[in-house]
Amino acid sequence: MSSLLSNIAQTLIALGSVVLALFATIGKLTRFAGVAIGRIVRPPWYPAQLFEQMLIIGYFSLPVVGLTALFTGSALAQQIYIGGSRFNAASTVPAVTVIGIVRELGPVLGGLMVAGRVASAMAAELGTMRVTEQIDALTTLRTDPFRYLVAPRIIAAVLVMPLLVLVSNALGVMGGWLLATQRLGFNSAAYLNTTAQYLEADDVISSMVKAGVFGFFIALMGCYHGYNSSGGAAGVGRATTNAVVSAFILILLSNLIITVIVFGG
Amino acid sequence: MSVKISLAGVHKHFGPKQVLRGIDLEVQTGESMVIIGGSGTGKSVMLKCILGLVHPDAGSILVDGQPVIGLKGKALAAHQSRFGMLFQGGALFDSLPVWRNISFALSGPARERRAAAIDNLARVGLGADVADLRPNELSGGMQKRVALARAIAARPEIIFFDEPTTGLDPIMADVINDLIRGLVTELGITALTITHDMSSVRKIADEVAMIHEGRIIWHGPRDSLDSAENPYVDQFIHGRAEGPIKMPLRKL
Repeated sequence: MSSLLSNIAQTLIALGSVVLALFATIGKLTRFAGVAIGRIVRPPWYPAQLFEQMLIIGYFSLPVVGLTALFTGSALAQQIYIGGSRFNAASTVPAVTVIGIVRELGPVLGGLMVAGRVASAMAAELGTMRVTEQIDALTTLRTDPFRYLVAPRIIAAVLVMPLLVLVSNALGVMGGWLLATQRLGFNSAAYLNTTAQYLEADDVISSMVKAGVFGFFIALMGCYHGYNSSGGAAGVGRATTNAVVSAFILILLSNLIITVIVFGG
Repeated sequence: MSVKISLAGVHKHFGPKQVLRGIDLEVQTGESMVIIGGSGTGKSVMLKCILGLVHPDAGSILVDGQPVIGLKGKALAAHQSRFGMLFQGGALFDSLPVWRNISFALSGPARERRAAAIDNLARVGLGADVADLRPNELSGGMQKRVALARAIAARPEIIFFDEPTTGLDPIMADVINDLIRGLVTELGITALTITHDMSSVRKIADEVAMIHEGRIIWHGPRDSLDSAENPYVDQFIHGRAEGPIKMPLRKL
């Protein structure tokens, strides 16, 4: 009996420590985000840093995000055609493709690709700066690391992600159009007309909102894990992995929440 | 001379590890104080507590009689702006050329900042030709000298040197020691150096303090180091394995 109680106690202790650690992490992350937002809304700002980050996050992510959208749009059109044909609904390819791309796949896949590329790079860069004392050096050189490192990355990601997703959406739709007209025998003008007819302002707005939210989480996770990394090269490696995984989870979770709020009726 | 930096009963722990166990220390204005002690005895943590980068658990830290613990926001930034620091690994910003590293804390047009950077490079014995190089294009000794130029560029009242000669060959280490001594004397800066290197101690220090297990266990002028009659100091300055300082080694 006493051993059973002891086992239950051990299990509860283990469970409790996991829950405590989870809440501690959420608290630290919330505080980090609060400090970062405080620096974002009040000057001084660093325009050169902001411009550099916009270039890194936006311009240099274009190829990977664009190709992802192009291939996914094509594959989606092919699948809708196959599935739709079973119900004599093959003509829905343009409408379903544009809705699927703009509402979900464009922002989500774009977000995931940027998270893989950018959150990891931010965590590695800030993590290396932390373990080589460059962040402490910034402080001794009269520079607030949150203003100089964190704020420009978050602002840049929030501003640039909607533009990236806009391009991603266009390329995704183009991928579907290319496949449908070149392989499935769709008329080009009719396909584009149907696409325009079914695309609504809400679809585009929700896509942009999602992109901005994803940009915030990508930069926040990259900066948070990098800024708080410790333990040398291994610590930086852990920070990089954690940044990407947590950004992925937050992107998928926030996508679900926004979808339910906007389209859930 | 007046007291520039004063620490009393400073304690700091990280998790279960008690790093500082009541540090008491005074550094006079314009003095070069060197802290010696083994690895992991709390030397770097003590510097970071004075800078306000690490918050002590207990005790008091005064700079020019003003308390440091509890400073926040602009007051903390104003406090930190009085210091320059040479970090152990240099901590140069990889993404910036040498001249922008040195002039990082300076304001004004780029041309003036570049000229100031080149002037500071000359102070540490480097030419204008390195101004546009990246830190990764420099040797370890040159990186240390650039970091030194960055630490003095804003003419701080107080400079901390964290193991300034670690990883350098003896000749380059001596060059750095000469530069530090020269800067302290020439610019009248209050300097606090932490090192394991006894040749640095003998060259840089006016006063020496030894830290062991988070406490200052000896303090005196450099010239009294050899006659300190303290077994810990004696073991450390002669680099002997036998003595009161025990290394946590596991027997084979």
